[in-house]
Amino acid sequence: MPATFLAAALQAAEETPTVNEPGGFWGAIAGWADAFIGVFEQGGATFMGLVTGIIPTLIVLLTAVNALIRFIGPEKIDKIGEMAARPGLIYYPVRYLVLPFLAVFFLTNPMAYTMGRFLPERYKPAFYDSAVSFVHPITGIFPHANPGELFVFLGIAAGIIELGLNETDLAVRYLMVGLVVILIRGVVTEFITTRMIARRDSELQEAAA
Amino acid sequence: MSTTTTSPKRGGGMSGFNTLLVRIGKAVGGVVGTLYQAGRDTIDTVIRNILPFMAFIAVLIGIINGVVINDRTIGGWLAHLIEPLASNLVGLLAISIFCAIPILSPVLGPGAVIAQVVGVLLGTRIAEGDIPPQYALPALFAIDPQVGCDFIPVGLALGEAEPETVEVGVPAVLISRLFTGPISVVLAWLASFGLYSSS
Repeated sequence: MPATFLAAALQAAEETPTVNEPGGFWGAIAGWADAFIGVFEQGGATFMGLVTGIIPTLIVLLTAVNALIRFIGPEKIDKIGEMAARPGLIYYPVRYLVLPFLAVFFLTNPMAYTMGRFLPERYKPAFYDSAVSFVHPITGIFPHANPGELFVFLGIAAGIIELGLNETDLAVRYLMVGLVVILIRGVVTEFITTRMIARRDSELQEAAA
Repeated sequence: MSTTTTSPKRGGGMSGFNTLLVRIGKAVGGVVGTLYQAGRDTIDTVIRNILPFMAFIAVLIGIINGVVINDRTIGGWLAHLIEPLASNLVGLLAISIFCAIPILSPVLGPGAVIAQVVGVLLGTRIAEGDIPPQYALPALFAIDPQVGCDFIPVGLALGEAEPETVEVGVPAVLISRLFTGPISVVLAWLASFGLYSSS
């Protein structure tokens, strides 16, 4: 835009008399005004880029996934919630990997946390930790799950796109590492919760005795 | 009599055809209605959640890239601060531990606004080449150990937890983040090998 403007000005310069650059007081004011409006022109260009670059694909994707969720029916995952409540080592991945993934995918943030109602009290904090830690890693590929907080991923991905690299690679790895992280978080938080409940119970017993 | 014997048969055929029509109509109507409602929800989300945040981000970027102080944009000055932290593993670990401090994490959490602003900042720096692109993945985890730390009581209440569970759960999650935050950064760093690396 400035380049074409300059070119037009150079062409016009041959015919029209040259005008002196504004100097002194008014020049300073004009300089300030230029800098002021420049900030918003820059912001406007960024906004235009975001709207035309992200919104169209996002709208189509969100509509398709929203429709898919309606067809399947979110109540279908209730069974997995009941299964995840079972004790035992093999149910850790169900509780802190499969259930949070399905809950965040189908129920989205923040309704995903309602799936905790199927679990015994001692697993609830760990499930919340696991589910809430997944609401950003999922947005790289499934933005419908948390449309209000897209820019954790999109902000960084914008830099990758500007370098001409493929941001989907990043989105896939973000999702994969996210899954490993929520499993670890679930296990660690469950361990800490169990310890804290045990300590609280023993304190209560001491107080009673 | 003959009409009474034949009419149920013919009527049966007609009503069978009718039920088929009704069934098809209902199914198609259901599909179209669901798709239409999904589109309505989507546009609602875009207008309510996505566009306002984009406007906010656009103003922020305008200020970061447009305001010049001492011949350098604000982004340039910030890059000076962030670059040594965000372009190596130790710095990213430091960011993640800072965000996971149990007193700070609930303050940094709300709406993930801080994480999103820092994400956009880091994105502009990656675009400028100040931060190498292979640090994008660990950075995503380094700026986010505080996710949901402001929301623990509400989240647990949504899961129908007892008040006693909330009492234990809030500190349990906050303390857990102190360990799992840095672990997530290391995992992401390991997983970023071969991603955008110039060979």
